[in-house]
Amino acid sequence: MIAVCRYQAALLLRSHRWIPPAVLYVLAVAGLGGGSPPLGDGLRWSALMLVPAVAWLTRSMLTAEPGAARACVAAAAGPRRTQVAALLAALAIGAGYALVGVAYEVVTSVKPMNPHGSVRLAATVSVLAGGLVATLICLLVGSAVGAFCNPPLIRRPAAAMLSTTGAVVLALASNVSPANAAARTVGSAPQASSWLPGLPVIAAVALLVVAWTASALAAGHRSG
Amino acid sequence: MLAGVALGGEAWLLVGGPAPPGGGPRHGQEDGVRLERVGKRYGIRQPWIVRDVNLDIPGGRLVRLEGRNGSGKSTLLRIIAGVSVPSSGRVIGRPGTGYVPERFPPGLPFSARDYLTHLGRAHGLAGQALGSRIDECLDRLGGAEFAAVPLRTMSKGMCQKVAVAQALLPRPGLLVLDEAWTGLDTAARAALDGAVAERLADGGAVVFVDHDPRRLAELGAERWQVSRGTVEVVADAPAGLAGGASSQGTAARKDLAANALAATGRHGGGPGAAGLAGDGLDGDGPAGAAAEPSGGRQVVIEVSGYPADLALPERLPGVLAMSRAQDRLTIRMDPAGSDIVLRALLAIGDQVRVRGVREEPGPQGRERGEQPGGRR
Repeated sequence: MIAVCRYQAALLLRSHRWIPPAVLYVLAVAGLGGGSPPLGDGLRWSALMLVPAVAWLTRSMLTAEPGAARACVAAAAGPRRTQVAALLAALAIGAGYALVGVAYEVVTSVKPMNPHGSVRLAATVSVLAGGLVATLICLLVGSAVGAFCNPPLIRRPAAAMLSTTGAVVLALASNVSPANAAARTVGSAPQASSWLPGLPVIAAVALLVVAWTASALAAGHRSG
Repeated sequence: MLAGVALGGEAWLLVGGPAPPGGGPRHGQEDGVRLERVGKRYGIRQPWIVRDVNLDIPGGRLVRLEGRNGSGKSTLLRIIAGVSVPSSGRVIGRPGTGYVPERFPPGLPFSARDYLTHLGRAHGLAGQALGSRIDECLDRLGGAEFAAVPLRTMSKGMCQKVAVAQALLPRPGLLVLDEAWTGLDTAARAALDGAVAERLADGGAVVFVDHDPRRLAELGAERWQVSRGTVEVVADAPAGLAGGASSQGTAARKDLAANALAATGRHGGGPGAAGLAGDGLDGDGPAGAAAEPSGGRQVVIEVSGYPADLALPERLPGVLAMSRAQDRLTIRMDPAGSDIVLRALLAIGDQVRVRGVREEPGPQGRERGEQPGGRR
């Protein structure tokens, strides 16, 4: 499993297919979201932008390998395990995106809060913790969207891209989306976000498990 | 595989000896794969491609799938290889599996060595053993000099060599070949034939599809006909083979094993090896007696790297003349047995490389114009 995951990650990195989603993410975070000094706003934005970036990254991973090459790996490790390994590899590289995003937001928000003392620091740590949780949730949601809307579950490129885009919009804008719910609470007062604090995390993990399972099951049944 | 470390890839010859006729004790491999009422269709409303297939592929069995284009051969191969999950029924038993697809795509962003390292790891190999096994497989197929070349820039034939190498890496208990010979050069085709014989002698099962009806015929393939979603076992031997496929195949496997044994035994494989070699050769009958040249044509095989301290191979079927100069060995022989001889030579070790195979008119034959190595 680890060997297959390493292979998939190497495939994604060396094919340079990880770069376009990374460019999208950097542009979205630094370009569109740039100049928002409060750390909470920045983290909210960088977390939300992970959803399209990781969904695209997952699509890049799932379409990186020609069918015959995938069959060789599947003979060695089984088609389902191979599929999970590919999703895991994309998630790991997506986590790299997330780290870069969080680091950028922290660095750019350092200057304005320097003059104030420890009170501000405690508040910052709480905002940062909330931001990290939201980032994790958005990472998982992005991976789930990518797994749901791409091969082997949705095979035709046009349908896959349209549904990926639609699902990303839904995940960002819909009230019931864990990504949206988590991002809303970033930077807000603790009591406002304390109702069912773990719910978005649980929902995101459940979504991920369902999406990956469906994708892995479908991987054994595909024709190409 | 205790002797495997010292003696390399052909150690099965010493440990187990040639496979006894009628299926004696096997070693080293799990026991095959079985399909129970297996069906496959790509979607609920799609037609069944194969349906209610019951098949048993025990270790040591060589199976050839036949059928028209689109009859479901490749689908069935993918199910047997575990690449595809059946829509109904089940597959029981899954030895380590190597799968060679029909067309290996050149689009992967790896060098041959990097790709094989990844695939070897996926097969559970690691470290030094994996590295030397990759060298061994590539060298055997004549691809050693391409190890560092990116797959992207490789020709179709080179890519196919890499595809074959990845399947052979783990010495799989089940080898599935979907027209794997397509695009390979003559020497690599012979090396793949030899690898199939090795897998079979090691107790592994081999299932294959190929256009050429003579492919591996001498190894005694069981033939299955795939048509309209069902599979029937074709019992009769291919036309033109005397004595039935299975006995012929056993003889061919024995020839291959016995000759490599004779060669390796004299190479100083130790008293145990010599004893086993004697056992293997005793009562073998005149299987390797020189044959009359067929059709007045001869095949000339040239190999290099033949070990200097090794006696000339004996008991090779159909050999008319042999000469050696330093490590080069030239064999002039009847075309009918050339595959077996090639395999026996390649089975001696990795250092033996086939430099040329060409067909020439014999003393009494006067026809001309066939391509070198044009038997296949």
